[in-house]
Amino acid sequence: MTLRRLSSALTAAAVALSLAMPAQAVEKKDNQFWMVIGGRQPVSHIDPGQSYDYAIRMMTQALYDGLVKYTGNPPTVEPWLATNWETSDDGLTWTFHLAENATFHNGDPVTAEAVVYSYRRTLEMNEGVAWMLSDVVQPDNITALDEHTVQFVLDRPYAPFLSFLPWWFVVNPAQVEANVVDGDFGKAWLAENDAGSGPYMLERFDQGTAYWLKRNADYWKGFPYENEDMGGIIYRLIRESASQRAALISGEADLVTDLTPEEIETVGARPDVETTSTPALTSFGLKMNTQGEHMSDINLRKAVAYAFDYDTFVQVYNGNAKLQTSAFTDAVQGKVDVEMPRQDLEKAKEYLAKSKYPEGGITLEYVYVQGLEQQRQMGLSLLNSLRDLNIELEMVPLTWPNMVARAADVEQSPDLMAIFATPVSTDPDAVAIQYHPSSHGKYYGSHYLDDAELNAMIEEARSLSDWEERAPIYAGIQQKIVDLQPEIFGMMRQRMFAYRDYVNGYSDSPIRMTSEVDLYPLYIQPK
Amino acid sequence: MLKLIAKRMGLMVVMLLGLAVITFTIANVAPGDPARLAAGPDANQAMVEQIRVERGFDRPLPVRFVLYVDQLLHGDFGSSVYTGRPVARDIAQFLPATVELVLFSISIAIVLGVPLGVIAAVRQNKPIDHAIRLLSVSGVALPMFWLGLMLQWYLALDLGLFPLGGRLGIFTDVPEPITGMISIDALLRGQFAVAGEALWHMVLPATALSFPALAAIIRVNRAEMLEVLGRDYVTNARAQGIGPWRIIAVYSLKNAILPTLAMIGLRFGWMLGGTVLVEGVFDFPGLGLYAAKAAVSSDFEPIMAVTLTLGAAFMLINLVIDLLYAVLDPRVRNQI
Repeated sequence: MTLRRLSSALTAAAVALSLAMPAQAVEKKDNQFWMVIGGRQPVSHIDPGQSYDYAIRMMTQALYDGLVKYTGNPPTVEPWLATNWETSDDGLTWTFHLAENATFHNGDPVTAEAVVYSYRRTLEMNEGVAWMLSDVVQPDNITALDEHTVQFVLDRPYAPFLSFLPWWFVVNPAQVEANVVDGDFGKAWLAENDAGSGPYMLERFDQGTAYWLKRNADYWKGFPYENEDMGGIIYRLIRESASQRAALISGEADLVTDLTPEEIETVGARPDVETTSTPALTSFGLKMNTQGEHMSDINLRKAVAYAFDYDTFVQVYNGNAKLQTSAFTDAVQGKVDVEMPRQDLEKAKEYLAKSKYPEGGITLEYVYVQGLEQQRQMGLSLLNSLRDLNIELEMVPLTWPNMVARAADVEQSPDLMAIFATPVSTDPDAVAIQYHPSSHGKYYGSHYLDDAELNAMIEEARSLSDWEERAPIYAGIQQKIVDLQPEIFGMMRQRMFAYRDYVNGYSDSPIRMTSEVDLYPLYIQPK
Repeated sequence: MLKLIAKRMGLMVVMLLGLAVITFTIANVAPGDPARLAAGPDANQAMVEQIRVERGFDRPLPVRFVLYVDQLLHGDFGSSVYTGRPVARDIAQFLPATVELVLFSISIAIVLGVPLGVIAAVRQNKPIDHAIRLLSVSGVALPMFWLGLMLQWYLALDLGLFPLGGRLGIFTDVPEPITGMISIDALLRGQFAVAGEALWHMVLPATALSFPALAAIIRVNRAEMLEVLGRDYVTNARAQGIGPWRIIAVYSLKNAILPTLAMIGLRFGWMLGGTVLVEGVFDFPGLGLYAAKAAVSSDFEPIMAVTLTLGAAFMLINLVIDLLYAVLDPRVRNQI
C-alpha cells in the first residue's frame, strides 16, 4: 500500500534526523583553552566611558586597566596602572605615578596623557561613571606632570575619591581620536572595539550571541598563573537558568552566573562541578516611601518593621544570605553593629497604637520584580505578618523599568519596594549617600528620606579626609538611619557561581556586582 | 492581478501607518523611564536629563510622532537607547535568523502535517487516525516553552543527540553573509558541513515551534479531506477505477489544500512574532529575543521597528497566500 509506504518513509526520516553529529567539546581552539562563561545579560557595549551594568563591567575590567583595582575580601584598592600615589595635606591634590612598562594592545605606551584624556573624555561625556567625580574635579584640573605622572586637583576635600578610581578605565587616545565621528567622543566605535591595555583583547563582538576575549599573552602586568594554554574567554549568552544549568552539566559552559540557590545545590552535588557562595557588598531591603501617604508616619514604619518575620530573608535563599546588622553591609568600611528591629509583635502593636492608624485598617502596596520568586515569598511573609496588625498588603509585581519609573517620582513611589543595592565603592559614603536627598529619584532612593540632621552628618563625613575623624560620624550615621527606619532592613545575599572543576583561579571580591566575575585570574587546567 | 497587488500595497501603507500610531501610543503611554534606565543605576539627574533631551523624550507626543515618521520616511529606524546601535543593523542581523527558523519550522509542519492529515482522513476512525489525533491535540495543548525545555533536556542533554542551543557550534565560523540565514548562506558558498550544522542546531527549536502549527495543519487538512472524499466526483472517480493514490493526491488534495494554505499563511505570520519563547530556551539569537528585550526595557525605537517589520511581513505573507489561492483556484483567478 502506497500510503503505508509513505508513513513508514516519514518514520524513517524522523529516525534519520536523530542520527547525530556528537556534541563537541568546546574548550579548545587552535590548541588553546577557551573558557565559556554562560551569562544571561547581553553586553550592551564595551565603552568604559558609557553606562555600566554587570556584563559591561565584566568586559571592561578585562579589556582595560584603571589606575587602581579592587581585589580581595574585604575589598582593597590595589595599585595597578599607578604604582604609587601621594596626597597633599589638605586632601586636594592627588599625584599618581604610572607603571613605565604598561602598553596598550596596539603597542602604544600607557602615558599620563592617556590617563588625562580618558578621565576628561568621561567627564565631558557625562555618562556612566561620570557622576562619581563630576562635582569634585574639573576636567581641566586633571593634568599630566610628565610622561608617567598624573595630578588631580579636587575642588574640595573628598575622602571617597580613591575608592571610585577602580571604575575609571584608561583608553588609548590615538585609537579613539582616529575613530571619532561627528564629535561623538568615539562612542560608536568604542562600543564594539577595544582600545585598552588590559589582560584581554576583544576578539569578536557578536551582539546577542557571544563576546570573545582573547588573552593578551604579553600583558604588561603578567598573569597570576603559569599556564600558556589559556587562549581566551567567551562570554556566551544563555538566557534561561534551566539552559545555563544544562550547559554547565554538558560542558558547553565552564562557568555560569545567576543560577538559583536550588540549582546551585543541584549542580554542586556533581563531582565535576564546584560552587562558590561568598559575601557581597549588596544589601537588600524593603524600602518605604517616607514621604508617602502612609509611610510618612515613623510609628507605622516601625510597626511594620517589628511585624516582619526576618527569618524569611534567609530561608528564601536556602541559607545563602545573612541578615543585616546595620544599615551598612559587612564589607563596608567603618561598619558597626547596630541593634536592629526583629520580629516582635508586642512592639509592633505598641508602635501602631502611636501611629495615625492605631486600629490598622489600611492597605499598603508592596512592589517587587515580576518573576522573582524570592521577592514574592517575602511579600507573602509580610502579608501574613501584617494581618496581626489589621493591615492589608497589596502585592504588585512590576517589570524592572516600571519599578525604576515609579521610584523616580515621590508621588508614585510605593509604600514598600523590594530593592537590591550594590554600592560602587567600599567607602561608607557610597552607602550613606543612598539615604541623602541626592539619591532621590534613583531606584534605591525610593524611600525619599530627608532628615536634616542625617544630611548634615553625611555631608560632613564625606568632606573630611582623616579616617579617625570620619569613623565615629559613620557609626552615628548607621544608628541614625536605623532609627529613622526608611526600610525594612534586609539581608546580604551571597554571590553564587558554579563552574567545572578544571576552572582555576576564581577569586571573589564583595565589591563586584551580583553576577560579575573578575576574568583576569581565571584559567583552565584539566585534571 | 497587477492591479490587485498595487491595491493591496496601497492598503498596506495605510495599515502600517495605523500600526505605527497604535504602537507609538502604547509604547509611550505605558509607564517606564528609558532615559533613566539607560543612564545607569547611579546616574544623577543631570545625566538623565541629558539623555532625555538628546533623545527628544522631553517633547510633546504629537511632535515626537511627526519627527519619528519623518525619520522613518528617510529610511532611518533610529538607534537603541542602551547600545547606541542603529536599529536597522540589529534587525538586519536578527530578522534573518528568525525567518530561517520559521521557514524550517513551517517546512516541518507542512511536510509532516499535510500527509498526516491525509492519512488520518483516509483511515478515519482507525487506530492511526486516533494516534494522529493525539498528536494534534497535544500540539494545541503543550506550551511551546515547556516542550522546548523538555526536548532540550532529554534529546540534547541526556542523549547528546542535538546541541543545547545557538545557531552554530561556538567555534564554527559563520559563513560570509548573503541572506543572513546561515544554512542557506553556507549552501550558497558550498560549505555543506556548516549548512548541516546550522540545520542540526535548528531541529529542536524548530520542532518545538512547529508543533502548534503542525497540529493545526493536520486538523484542517483532515477535515477538508474528509469533506472532499465524500463528494460525488470522488465516488465517480473511484467507480471509473482510478487508483487510490491518484484520487487522493490529484483529485482530492488539490481541492482540500486551499483552507490549509490559508492556515499555513496565518501560522507563518504568527510564528514570526511568536518565536520569542523558543528563541529564549535555545538561545537562538533572533528577532523574538531582540523584541522581548526591547519591550521589557522600554527601548522605544527597536519596539517600533520590530512591530512595523513584523506587521509588514504579516501583510506580505497574506498577499502571497491570496495570490497562491488564485493560482490554485480558477474561480478566484477569474474574480480578479
